[in-house]
Amino acid sequence: MPPTSKSVVSRSSAGKAVFDTLNREKRFRNPPADKSAFPALQDAIRPHVDSWNAVFREGGCLHQAIHDIGEKTVFDRLDGNAETGYGNKLTVKIANYYLGKSMLSSRDKTAMKREIYPAECRERHTSYRGQLQLELHYKVNNGEWQKEYRDCGLLPLMVMGNRCHLEGMSPRDLVDHKEESEELGGYFIASGNEKLIRMLIVNRRNYATAVVRSSYAKRGPSYTNMGVQIRCVRPDQSSMTNVIHYLNDGNITFRFSWRKREYLVPAMMILKALVDTNDREIFEGIVGLEQREDTFLTDRVELLLRTYKTYGLYSRHETLAYLGDKFRIVMQVSPDVSDVEVGKLFLKKIVLVYLQDDGDKFRQLLFMIKKLYALVAGTCAADNVDAAQHQEILLGGFLYAQILKEKIEEYLFSIRSQVRSELMGGARPEFNNPQYMRKMLGKVNERIGESLHYFLSTGNLSSPSGLDLQQTTGFTVVAEKLNFYRYISHFRMVHRGSFFAQLKTTTVRKLLPESWGFLCPVHTPDGSPCGLLNHLAHKCQVATTSSDCTRIGPLVLTLGVHSAKVLPVPADAILSVQLDGKILGWCSPRDARRVAESLRFYKVEGTHDVPKDLEIGYVPVSNAGQYPGVYLFSQEARMMRPVKYIPLDKEDIVGAFEQPFLNVAVTEPEIKSGDSHVEFDPTNILSIVANMTPFSDFNQSPRNMYQCQMGKQTMGTPGTAIQHRTDNKMYRLQTGQSPIVRAPLYNTYGLDNFPNGMNAVVAVIAYTGYDMDDAMIINKSAHERGFGYGTVYKTEKYDLAEKSKSKVPQLAFGYGWAPIGADQQTLAKFKAMRDKYSGTIDDVDGLPLVGQKVVEGDPVAVYHNMGTGETFFFKYKSSEDAYIEEVRVLGNDVGDTICQAISVKFRITRSPVIGDKFSSRHGQKGVCSQKWPAVDMPFSESGMQPDVIINPHAFPSRMTIGMFVESMAGKAGALHGFAQDCTPFKFNETHTAVDYFGHQLREAGYNYYGNEPMYSGITGQEFHADIYLGVVYYQRLRHMVNDKYQVRSTGPVDSRTRQPVKGRKRMGGLRIGEMERDSLLAHGTAFLVQDRLLNCSDYHQTWVCRGCGSFLATTPTVTSADRRAAEVRCRRCAVRATEFDVGKRGYWEDGLGGRFLGGEDTTIVVIPYVLKYLDVELLAMGIQMKYDVSP
Amino acid sequence: MDGFDMIDSGTDGPSVTIRKAEASHADFVLSNVDLAFANSIRRIILAEVPTLAIDLVEVIGNTSVLPDELLAHRLGLIPLDSTNIDDKLLYTRDCDCDGYCERCSVVLTLVAKCTGDQNVTVYARDLAVTAGAQLGNPVITDEGQKGSIICKLRKGQELNIKCIAKKGIAKEHAKWQPCAAVSFEYDPWNKLKHVDYWYETDAKAEWPKSANAGWEEPPQENEPFDYDAAPTKFYMDVETVGSLPPDEILRQGVKYLQEKLANVIAGVQKTAGANGVSAAAGDVSGMDDGYGGARSPDMGDANGYGRNFNDGYVTPYGGAGGVGGAQTPFGGYGGGGYSNGW
Repeated sequence: MPPTSKSVVSRSSAGKAVFDTLNREKRFRNPPADKSAFPALQDAIRPHVDSWNAVFREGGCLHQAIHDIGEKTVFDRLDGNAETGYGNKLTVKIANYYLGKSMLSSRDKTAMKREIYPAECRERHTSYRGQLQLELHYKVNNGEWQKEYRDCGLLPLMVMGNRCHLEGMSPRDLVDHKEESEELGGYFIASGNEKLIRMLIVNRRNYATAVVRSSYAKRGPSYTNMGVQIRCVRPDQSSMTNVIHYLNDGNITFRFSWRKREYLVPAMMILKALVDTNDREIFEGIVGLEQREDTFLTDRVELLLRTYKTYGLYSRHETLAYLGDKFRIVMQVSPDVSDVEVGKLFLKKIVLVYLQDDGDKFRQLLFMIKKLYALVAGTCAADNVDAAQHQEILLGGFLYAQILKEKIEEYLFSIRSQVRSELMGGARPEFNNPQYMRKMLGKVNERIGESLHYFLSTGNLSSPSGLDLQQTTGFTVVAEKLNFYRYISHFRMVHRGSFFAQLKTTTVRKLLPESWGFLCPVHTPDGSPCGLLNHLAHKCQVATTSSDCTRIGPLVLTLGVHSAKVLPVPADAILSVQLDGKILGWCSPRDARRVAESLRFYKVEGTHDVPKDLEIGYVPVSNAGQYPGVYLFSQEARMMRPVKYIPLDKEDIVGAFEQPFLNVAVTEPEIKSGDSHVEFDPTNILSIVANMTPFSDFNQSPRNMYQCQMGKQTMGTPGTAIQHRTDNKMYRLQTGQSPIVRAPLYNTYGLDNFPNGMNAVVAVIAYTGYDMDDAMIINKSAHERGFGYGTVYKTEKYDLAEKSKSKVPQLAFGYGWAPIGADQQTLAKFKAMRDKYSGTIDDVDGLPLVGQKVVEGDPVAVYHNMGTGETFFFKYKSSEDAYIEEVRVLGNDVGDTICQAISVKFRITRSPVIGDKFSSRHGQKGVCSQKWPAVDMPFSESGMQPDVIINPHAFPSRMTIGMFVESMAGKAGALHGFAQDCTPFKFNETHTAVDYFGHQLREAGYNYYGNEPMYSGITGQEFHADIYLGVVYYQRLRHMVNDKYQVRSTGPVDSRTRQPVKGRKRMGGLRIGEMERDSLLAHGTAFLVQDRLLNCSDYHQTWVCRGCGSFLATTPTVTSADRRAAEVRCRRCAVRATEFDVGKRGYWEDGLGGRFLGGEDTTIVVIPYVLKYLDVELLAMGIQMKYDVSP
Repeated sequence: MDGFDMIDSGTDGPSVTIRKAEASHADFVLSNVDLAFANSIRRIILAEVPTLAIDLVEVIGNTSVLPDELLAHRLGLIPLDSTNIDDKLLYTRDCDCDGYCERCSVVLTLVAKCTGDQNVTVYARDLAVTAGAQLGNPVITDEGQKGSIICKLRKGQELNIKCIAKKGIAKEHAKWQPCAAVSFEYDPWNKLKHVDYWYETDAKAEWPKSANAGWEEPPQENEPFDYDAAPTKFYMDVETVGSLPPDEILRQGVKYLQEKLANVIAGVQKTAGANGVSAAAGDVSGMDDGYGGARSPDMGDANGYGRNFNDGYVTPYGGAGGVGGAQTPFGGYGGGGYSNGW
C-alpha cells in the first residue's frame, strides 16, 4: 500500500539525514581536485599528523632537541699539547639535521621517477622511509668547527606528514597515487604494515599536582605518602618529572630520576643553588603575610631551614659546587668543567626543566613547597591524577621526536666511547686529521633510522632514560583496515598506559565527570582494557603547537595582578597566576576571578592578543578543595573542545583543566543563570563510532558499549583502493548498503564510502525454535540473493631469499620450472607435473595464474635451484579453497636482480553459513542458526517475508529500545523513501520517537506502532499475535565458523603424555576440563567420562606386577629355543638365577642376558598413559609408586 | 449482501474473481476454498513453478572489478523469459546428454569491452541468447530497454562469458522464483478472531483498515461469534519478476499442485499395491524418485557446500548411509549452481 499523500509526513527533524547518493556517486567517479569533501575526517587524525609536523618543521621540536643535546667532549689523554692535563679535547655536536622524502637509493642508476610512494611500500611489504642526515660539527681544543655530514640510515616517515609525497594532495591526486580518495595518513609503514603510535595519557605538564600515594612512603625512613609532583616538559617535548616529598619531621626532599635511577636531594639545597638567596626570602616565599600566625606552617618552614644548616653550605656558589661534585659522574660531564658549572648543568637538565630562568624555577619550587604544606595541613585536597583535568596526551609525533633525540644523543656518546675504546686499544687518535676522523666516525653505529624502525615495528622502547614513561612496550599498534570504523578508531584511541593494566585497583578505570566531552563515555572495550583504552570524543582536539602568549604576562599585570618579581607581595594576594607553570604574579581571590573572566572574554572576543586556545583554569578558593589559583595553559598536548560562550554567543575552546570550574549547560533550554557556556550539541561527548549507534539514548548503556566493539568487528568495507593493498587479512562485505537510519554525522564523516552492513527486514517473533538463545534465522532466499555475502582476502609473500641457507645474499633460486638442460630424469619427472599444473601455474614464469582456484596442497608457484636444476613448489597451505586474486612480482630496492619474491593475494569466498555471527547496531549479536526456506517464513499481508527473524526474548533483559525505534524508523524510511535521522537526544517526553515514526507509518498505511498481522508460511493461518516487523541495519561480524570450527576423532598426540595436543591449527582436541568433567559426573554419564578422559585420550595398556604393584619393574623376557614365547615378568619380584637354577621351571632371561627366577605374577591393566609418566617422574625423585591390583 | 457473494457462494467449487490483471501482477479473490488449498497455491507458485535462470557460468575472460563468483551470482538473478518452459525444456537431470544440451538448457553469451574513456555499463540486454532458442531472453521492462545492470567496465576491462541457463525451481535457489511476492489475506475484518490485535490505547486508531475490507461486510454490533467459521475468501496478489506472466504462474501452480497430489495418491496406492490391491502406481506420474514433483537440476549434487553442511555428518559408527544423515523436511538445502554455492 503506497502512501497516497506524503504531505502529513513531516521531515523537518529528519531533514539533515539524507542519502546523498548522487553526490556520492559523482564524487566517487570524479574525486575532487581541490580538497577533501570530508574535512571532519582530516580533523579526526589531526593530532597524529600535526604532531609529526610540529617535530619536523623548520625550528620544530627536533631542532630544539638537537640544540638541547648540546656538545659532548672527549680527550685523547696525550701529553704535550695539554692545557687541562687531559690531552687534546674533541668537542662534537649536532648542528642540524636533514630528513628527506622517500626516494630511490642512489645505487639505482636507471629509474627516471625516483619518488617512492606509500602505496609502493605497502604493496612491496617494505617500509616508507626517508634519508636522515646529521650535520656533525666537531672542533679540536679551541679550534675552528669542522663540518661533517653523516648518513644515519632511513628514518620511517609518517604518511601525510611534512616529509610525505602525499602531503596536501587533493583526493584526485591521491587516487592517482593508488590511495584512498580520503587517505588520512597519520601512520607509518613498517614492512608493509600500517603502524601508528597510539596516544598515551600522561600527567599534565608544568602543573604541580598534590599527590597522596602509598608508594611515596617507601622511599625511605620517615617518608610520608604525601608529595607534590610536576611533570616538566621542555620545548622539544621531552619531559622530566620532579617530585618533592614530605617527611614525617616536616622536612622536604626533592626527587628525580636520571637514566632510570632515582636520586633524592634536600629541597633547600635546590632552592639555595637556584638563586642567591637567604633564609628570610625563602621563609617569606613559603609563608605568606597572612599565614604568619599559622604555627603549623611556620614550625615546618623553620625546621626546613634549620636542618639544612648541617650541610654548611651558605652561598649559591658553595651549593652549586657541592651539587656539581656529587653529580659529576652521574651526569657524565667532561672532566675539565668546574663543579659550579656542573651544578648549573644539573639545574638546567634536571630541575623544573621547562623554565629557563632560575628565578622562575625558584618561585615555582617555593610554590610547590607551599602546596605540599597545604596538602599536609589539610587545607587543600590531593589532585586526582586519574582525572582528565590533570592529564594531557602524549602524541605519536612527540614520542617519536623524544626517541630520535635520545638516539642522536646516544650517537654523540658513542663517538666518545669509540675514541675511548681506541685509546684503550693503544691507538693514538689524531683529531686534527680529517681522514682519521672519518674513519673513526665510520666505526660508530650510525643506524638511527634502523632503531626507529625497530620501535615502530615492535612497539618496544629501548631507551637508557626510559623517557619519563611508565612502560617500555606496546607503544605502537597496527592500524587494521578491517572496516572503516575500526580504522578511524585507532587514530582516536587514547591509552592510559600498560602500567595501569596490571594495577589491581579499578580507580584508574573509572569514568570521571572531568572527562566529559573529551573522552567518550561509551566507547571503551569491556574486559581487561576497560576504562584504560578510551577514545576521544569526536569534537575533541589535541593541541599540537603552543600558542603565542608573550602578551599575557603584561596583560595580567594590568588586570590587578601583583608581579612575582616585586617583593613583598601584598597580604591579600594569596593566589598565584601561572602561565604554563611560570608564576606571573599574585593576586587576591576577588581579583583572580576578574582576571580569569576578563581573559576569557578577551580570548573569545579575539582581542588583547589572547590566543583562542589559551586555557584559563581559575581554581576558586574553597574549603579544602583543589589548591586555588589561576592557571593558564597554552602549550601542546592538551585536550580541547569547542563549546559556545554564552556572553558573546561565540565558540570558545575549552580545555580539560578549566572545564570543571566552568558551568556548561548541555542544551540551550537548560541554561541557568551563572552558566557561562553551552554545548553546541549534546552528542559532542560521543566518539565517532559511538555516534553511529542509532537512537543510542534509548538503549541500556552497556549495549551501546557492545555496539562500539561490534561495529569495529564488522565485516565491512575496508577501503576503496583494495587492489593496491596487501594486508595479511582483509574482510570485505560485497553487498553492503547505505543505512536508512543514520545520523547526519554519518555523512559528515563520509561513511557511505565504506558501507558496513545491510538493511534487513526483521521480524521479532519466536517462530521455529531455531531462534532460541540469540540465534537468528536468515531467509534462505535473502541469503541466495546476496544477504551478507562477504569475501576474505589473504596475502602471502613467497620469498626465495629465505630458502637459501647461506647468509650471504646470493641468487640460488629462481622462479619457474628448471630450465631444459638439467638432467633428463628430473625433466621427465616434472613433465607430468608440468602438464598437470599448467592450469594453475604459468608455464613460462612459474607464477600462479590470476583467477584460478587453489585448494589445500596445490602449488602456488614453482621455483628451482639454479645450481642443481631441482624444481620445488610453494604450496597453498590453508584448508579453505581460495582463488588467486592478484600476483605481485617484487624486486629488490635497487632493481638489479632477477625476481626473488612474489606476493600473492588470495580471495576466499565467505557466503554466510550456519554459525556465522551477525548483529544489529544495538549490541544485539546473534548466530545464524538456520537458513529457512522463504515459503516457510512468516509473511505479511502484502507478501513481505522477513530477511531475518529474531526472538523476542532478546529484548526484555537487554532493554535495547533503540533497536525497536530503529526498526520503526527504518520501516517508515523505506516506505517513504527517505533517510531517517537517528541522532540521540533528539526526542523528548513531549515529542516522542514513537509518535514521530508511528505517524509516518500510519501515513504509509501501516499500524501506528509498527506491528503487522502475519501468516504462518507453512499453514497459511494468521498468527494469533501481530508481529513487530521493521527494517534494521544488520552487520555481519568477522567471527565466522569457518575460522573456528574444530573437530577431531583421532589425531596428533603429545609425545610425552600421549594426550591429544591442543589448538585448532594442529588438529588438536577440545579439552574436557575439570568443570566439564564435574558436569558429566553430575549427570551420571560414567561411560562418557571414561570415553572422553581415557579412551579418546591417552588410553594405554601396560603390564603391572601383581606382587609388588609396579609398572616399571616389568620387563619382557627373551624368547629362547627351549622356552615358550616371550612373556612379561617382574624383575623386582624375581631373584637372580644361579647356575643350579637354570633349567628349572620359571627360569627366564632378560634382554641383557641376566637370568632370573620368579616374578610371574604379572598382568595387563588399562591406565591413562600419563600415569606411567608420573611414575617415572616420581621415580626420578626417589619415590616409588605401588599399585594395588588385587581383583 | 452484494452480488459477488451471491454468485460465489454455494457449493459450486472454487471460484476466482480477478480484480486487476497486468503484465507484472494479478490481483484476485479466491473463494470457496479452504485455507490449506489457498496456502498450497501460494507456496507452489512461490517455490515450485519452474523457470529458467542462468545456472552455470563459464568465465572465459573477466577483467572487471567484480570477482567471477559475484558476477555469476548477478547473472543468475537476472530474470529470463520462461514462458511455456515445460513444453520447451527438460530438466538437465531428465535429459540424456552429459552436462547440458539445447534440449535442457539455453546458452547466453555476454561479450563486452570498454575501449573508450567513458565507463561502459553492461546491462541485461547485452546478454545474447543463442540463435534459435525458444526462450531465455532477459526480461526487460524498464523504459530505456536496458534491463538490470550486470557490471560496469572501465577502459581496457572486458567480459567474455558463456552462461548456461537451466530449468529449475525456487525451492532450490531464489533465482528460479517466478514471483517477487504473493500478497495473501483473509478475513479483513478479523471476524474469525484469528488475530488478537495489540493496541496501546485505541485499536481502531492504531490499526489501518485493510484495503480488502471493502469486499466483505463489516461485523455487526453484537454479532454472535461463530466458532465453526473458517476462512473461505482469500485476497491474493501475485507479483511476478517478469519471467512468467501471472496467469501462467497460476496455471502452472495448479498443475504442479495436482501433480504433487497425484504423487501422494500414487504413493499411497503403491504401498497398497504391494498387497495386490492396485497396480500401475508408477504410471501415474512416471516418476519414481519417491518425493516426486518438481526438482532442480543439481538437487543433492555434491557441488555446493550446502551438501556438506546440511546433509548430516558421518559418524565413525557408519551412520552415513541410508537416509543421508540429518535431512530436514525441506528437501535439503540445495547447493547453488555456482561452485561457491550461494
